[in-house]
Amino acid sequence: MIGAVTLLLIAGPFIALAFATHWSDFHFASGDVRSMGVSLGYSLISLALIVAFGTPLAWWLARHSFHGKWVLEAIILLALLTPPLAMGILLATLFGPYGPVGSLVAHTGVELTNSAPAFVLAQFYGALPYYVVAARAAFEGVPRELEHIALTLGKSPWQTFWLVSMPLARLGLAAGIALAWVRALGEFGIVLILAYYPQGIPVKLWVNLQDIGLSAVYPLMWVFFLVAMPLPLMLGLASRRQRLF
Amino acid sequence: MRIDYRIDYPVRLQVNFDVEGFTILLGQSGEGKTTLLRALAGLLPAEGEPFGGLLPQHRAVGYLPQGYALFPHLRAWENVAFALPRGPRRRAQALELLLRVQLVDVAEQYPAALSGGQQQRVALARALARKPQLLLLDEPSSALDAGTRDEVMAELISEIHEFGLPVLAVSHDPHLAALADHVAVMSGRRIVQQGTPAEVLSRPASAAVARLLGHRNLFTARVAGHETDTGMTLLQWEAANGTLLRLPQQSELAEGQLVQWMIAPAAVWLPSLKPELYRTDNLVSGRVETRLNLGAHFHVALRCGTERLWLAAQGNLVRQHGLETGCEITVDLRSDGLLCWPHLA
Repeated sequence: MIGAVTLLLIAGPFIALAFATHWSDFHFASGDVRSMGVSLGYSLISLALIVAFGTPLAWWLARHSFHGKWVLEAIILLALLTPPLAMGILLATLFGPYGPVGSLVAHTGVELTNSAPAFVLAQFYGALPYYVVAARAAFEGVPRELEHIALTLGKSPWQTFWLVSMPLARLGLAAGIALAWVRALGEFGIVLILAYYPQGIPVKLWVNLQDIGLSAVYPLMWVFFLVAMPLPLMLGLASRRQRLF
Repeated sequence: MRIDYRIDYPVRLQVNFDVEGFTILLGQSGEGKTTLLRALAGLLPAEGEPFGGLLPQHRAVGYLPQGYALFPHLRAWENVAFALPRGPRRRAQALELLLRVQLVDVAEQYPAALSGGQQQRVALARALARKPQLLLLDEPSSALDAGTRDEVMAELISEIHEFGLPVLAVSHDPHLAALADHVAVMSGRRIVQQGTPAEVLSRPASAAVARLLGHRNLFTARVAGHETDTGMTLLQWEAANGTLLRLPQQSELAEGQLVQWMIAPAAVWLPSLKPELYRTDNLVSGRVETRLNLGAHFHVALRCGTERLWLAAQGNLVRQHGLETGCEITVDLRSDGLLCWPHLA
């Protein structure tokens, strides 16, 4: 009963959206289609980077204990709890044209504000901590004994990782990827500061609201759901179908 | 194969013993038996031979931990094939190994669908696929239910014998000792006795070893003196109304010294039906407290003073003597079946 009420609370805003949308006059504002391409394309790139960089870190945190580990954990927690707007400002300080890294990279001709790399960077920072936390929990759930047995069966640590740890952690890793995807795609605060251009869907929603009004927001919202949902949905279904043990 | 290992962490222990055929290392929980196996498998830092200094993936060791640690995401045959090199023959080789442990019909099952005994044999087949020089078993009987344990263990041991591999099994279960080719006993983080099961079971080196081996009749007494003419040592069993016991002389024991002594239940004899033909050694009276009917023979508990003395006898003898609960009887403790050790407080 409480579950049904909760579900209704969650569904409420979307039901309202269905009623508020002018279906007879459904059209996009100029630049909306471009923002879809920007969001989808760059989010995929950030997601790939997040998995590539986040997985080793998550593995390391899950499997090694060392002095001062809490400092690392605190840093990840810090990244997680910093408000997106504040994180955007911090990143602009570091990667902006006058920031230490930004000015250095500018010599190579790459701008780290209001550019494609800046957009990916903003999404990367917004979603990485979530992925690391989820992936770490997933790796910690893999019985260490099974990894040890794989070693005694003649597999190298690298083979053990791919043949035992990854398959056994895949439910948690899939959840982490889905979470990172949703965070990256929906990132607004950091993007607003670091990469107002190129405009992705979240910023474009804001721009449409300011320039045109609510009527220009609803159609783009529907598209956002259409773009954001398939990946987490697929990951969820795939991992559920393979739950054989 | 000689095992000579020194471990500093997580427990400090130093052991040196032989593995011959199916060898059982007996010891109580907390002695560091699992630690030793993990060290032999290379999963813990240790010094010693064999395999000293090698990484776990380079040691030719088959390790079966408690619970067997099958990979839950792989089918039975894939578990076995895990250690096999990739190639077209991989599946066939895995099935061959499963056939040898008589499990080829569950090859497509996931471990969760297998019984404890089946999981153990899949884990054995998987370990054998590695072509080990030494097989390590951690408490192989612990996850089996009492009813099928002896059967499953006998099966496992005969399969292992077929492969002709030296095996080191650690256990706290004295039942297993009787099934082994060689027994080593660990107490106080070191090996205190080793030998064939017959030697170790009949001549425990100390009361602690006797207890580990599951001997029931362990008691305390005081040395009453030595009879040099007959070559006997006298013990006074104070707990059983001061009964005097005679056993072959142990001159290292001083008069008045406290000792622990033991007698196998089979060396406690019921009175002879023709007393004139037999010399009795140590007559002890008691009241029958419990009778365990084990089919062909009985275990009978006698209350002697404050202690309980067990005897094992054939069913027909027990019936002839009319041994019912509550009846009084005098039994004979055979001198050559008595063992004693200085009492260690």
